[in-house]
Amino acid sequence: MREEVKGNWSEIEIRNVSKYFARVVANKDVNFTIRKGEVLALLGENGAGKSTIMKILYGLYQADEGSILFDGKEERIANPKDAMRFGIGMIQQHFSLVFAHTVTENVILGAMRGIIPYAKAKEQVESLASRYGFDVDADALVGDLDVGVQQKVEIIKALFKQTTLLIMDEPTAVLTPQEADQLMEFVRQFVADGHAVVFITHKMKEVMEIADRIIVMRDGRISGDLRKEDTNEAELSRLMIGRDIVAPEKVDFEGRDHGQLGLIVENLSLSRGKVKLLDDIDFHLRPGEVLGIAGVSGNGQEELCETICGIRAFDSGSIVLDGVDLSELSLREHIDQGIGYVPVDRHRDAMIGSMSLAENIYLKFSTHDDWNRHGLIDANNLRQKTLESIEDFDIRAPGPDVPAGNLSGGNQQKLILAREMRLAKKLLILNQPTRGLDLGAINNIHTTVLQARAEGLPVLLISTELSEIFALSDRIAVMYKGRFMGIFLPRELNTERIGLLMAGIVPDDLAHVADEEIRAEVV
Amino acid sequence: MSVVVGILARALTMSTPLLYGSLSEVVAERSGMMVTAIEGIFLIGAWGGFVGTYLWGSALYGILLAMGLGVVVAAVYAFVTVTMRQHQVVTGTALNILVAGLCTYFQRVLFGIPTSPLKIERLPQLAIPLLSDIPILGEVFFNQNILTYIMYAIIPLIYFVLFRTSTGLAIRSTGENPVASDVAGISVNFVRYMTVLFSGLMGGVAGAFYSIGFLGMFTAGIIGGRGWIAFAICFLGNWHPFGAVVGTLVFGLAESISIYMQSLGGAGFLPNEFFIALPYILTIVLTVSRRNFKVPAKLGVPYVKEGG
Repeated sequence: MREEVKGNWSEIEIRNVSKYFARVVANKDVNFTIRKGEVLALLGENGAGKSTIMKILYGLYQADEGSILFDGKEERIANPKDAMRFGIGMIQQHFSLVFAHTVTENVILGAMRGIIPYAKAKEQVESLASRYGFDVDADALVGDLDVGVQQKVEIIKALFKQTTLLIMDEPTAVLTPQEADQLMEFVRQFVADGHAVVFITHKMKEVMEIADRIIVMRDGRISGDLRKEDTNEAELSRLMIGRDIVAPEKVDFEGRDHGQLGLIVENLSLSRGKVKLLDDIDFHLRPGEVLGIAGVSGNGQEELCETICGIRAFDSGSIVLDGVDLSELSLREHIDQGIGYVPVDRHRDAMIGSMSLAENIYLKFSTHDDWNRHGLIDANNLRQKTLESIEDFDIRAPGPDVPAGNLSGGNQQKLILAREMRLAKKLLILNQPTRGLDLGAINNIHTTVLQARAEGLPVLLISTELSEIFALSDRIAVMYKGRFMGIFLPRELNTERIGLLMAGIVPDDLAHVADEEIRAEVV
Repeated sequence: MSVVVGILARALTMSTPLLYGSLSEVVAERSGMMVTAIEGIFLIGAWGGFVGTYLWGSALYGILLAMGLGVVVAAVYAFVTVTMRQHQVVTGTALNILVAGLCTYFQRVLFGIPTSPLKIERLPQLAIPLLSDIPILGEVFFNQNILTYIMYAIIPLIYFVLFRTSTGLAIRSTGENPVASDVAGISVNFVRYMTVLFSGLMGGVAGAFYSIGFLGMFTAGIIGGRGWIAFAICFLGNWHPFGAVVGTLVFGLAESISIYMQSLGGAGFLPNEFFIALPYILTIVLTVSRRNFKVPAKLGVPYVKEGG
């Protein structure tokens, strides 16, 4: 049994909507219209309020002011159930799937009442999947699927609920370029069927590719409402950022002979059960070089970082840094070797939100003699060093004693980077250092990375943002299922090639260069 | 032979309340709620069962009162842990202590301190015609009290609801990923309240079983940790109704053997006390030895709606 859906409206008007979180204005006087048969792009930096306004429309948040009108008639959307009744579906940036359940179970969650006719439900799921050309096994456990397939499950979930307006929040963030193309294809087909799509993104390129109309948001307000034909990337960028940003300049890497200096990883492997997390990884990262590692997240990037940093043990192979074999060392000794590490999830692995800036910095130096006096924390010294870091890394904070959790994401990341740069005498490892940050903070972090490179530090940079990889890397490795698909010079790769590599396919014209020995010669 | 049949029949009897408890715990934990107040719910059920039966002269009233009181304790637990988002283990422990005090207090208020324990009539054994005549099996399965017969129906019912209906899917999804339930239009807190209240209902019956169905009286130590055993069985049975059935049968058997051996006054070199401790020793050994738990991913984690 399914519920009736009243999705036959022709336009939704969002009128004067404002939303406040404690002291922060998330949305202020937001006005725009969503129409059937149109792809509407919501463009803006992280924190511009794009997701918030859509979560209000989807009933996850309640607006503090303003109203939502369907064909001129005001309606209240108190929860997602109300939204679904109007045919609104939303795919969150972080998928809301139950990993332990099958695709079918995930799709029908909340959409059926009473006894579930599983065989029939499965058929419906399969027919929806085939209608849009999705290759999805209805009986598979969602946790076993690749991220790209999981997204398709999310889409089928929405379609199953007879969605006529599909809201997608940063949908391409987890996809390979080819998967992103398929997604765009689906969006076009879905809109051609007379439905509507809202596409939330911070990527200009996608907007120009897919949108019919573009709403630009900045600081919770609308800074532009344009048709795609009437605008261009330069104008959009100005509306989105509202200030000038100078990209850091990069000098070319000098292929000096460093002998055995830097980080040498050989035949590194790690398995969990039958799954190979790291599969025979080989590379030599030289001083003053940035090795970018591209790939869809979850393909072994985090495991690679953690084995190098000594957080995780490995099965076989060796890791040598400046001639020192790291495999026998404890975690503490790894840190003392001079390895700086910015992990992907700072809240989980890098900081304690309720502790002060100074304490967060001290965390990794607690065993160092010059940070302590007579076995106690040397408070004055710590304060001094924290102030230095605040100054050097342009951390916007009221002082060293405020809780780190009070800072914005970008400033938290700068704090962690400041600490790790103090530690990084021999190696700097960054795992998605700019994820979720606004352009100003991203710029800051990129500058720091290039500075470290200029000072002769080997830098391992993991990122899912290809633009970041290309902007900063001297060489690029692509990771797929725990394996390096090869190490390449940036000029050897383009979006299509790197996309294939990210999906585990070596393009024919690259087969001859996918090898570390050759790379050394080329450089 | 008749000794063995007697032990088996009693094993099933002793399994009954544990199964009421552990099945309801399975349902609640599948939604992400550990009902750590289960020991207290058992106890107040035992007391309610006794009081209802003693004062109004019918076991039915006793069971109804037990269910009502179980639901009240569960409601308090749900309010503190779901709405107020307090820690489940701490809240349950506090409630268990509170209930123990309340039962003793009101027992004295109502009945003073009688010279000999107050007795109520125990639930009769109902031999099912024909079926109870089957050799061995009839004696073991079809010469039990009404609560055991109801249990036979509850096992497949709970399995069916959990795995074949939208209600079950909502419960299981809520324990695995409450966000998925929330964005699908299912109220996480509502689901969790309902499963906890259901636990209160079932736990109340389980408790009443000890006073009405087994001892025919109430003592402060009547439950003696059996709520915790039901709690452990839910883990041991891997959060599956059939796993819970197997688990409770094992413990029921241990209790039955324990009772039989106590009646003999111990066996050879093993003292009586060993058999009293047997179910508890078994709990520890099995809990430690179990591997590969399929724990509901968000078990015990309060759901905080983002932004709100």
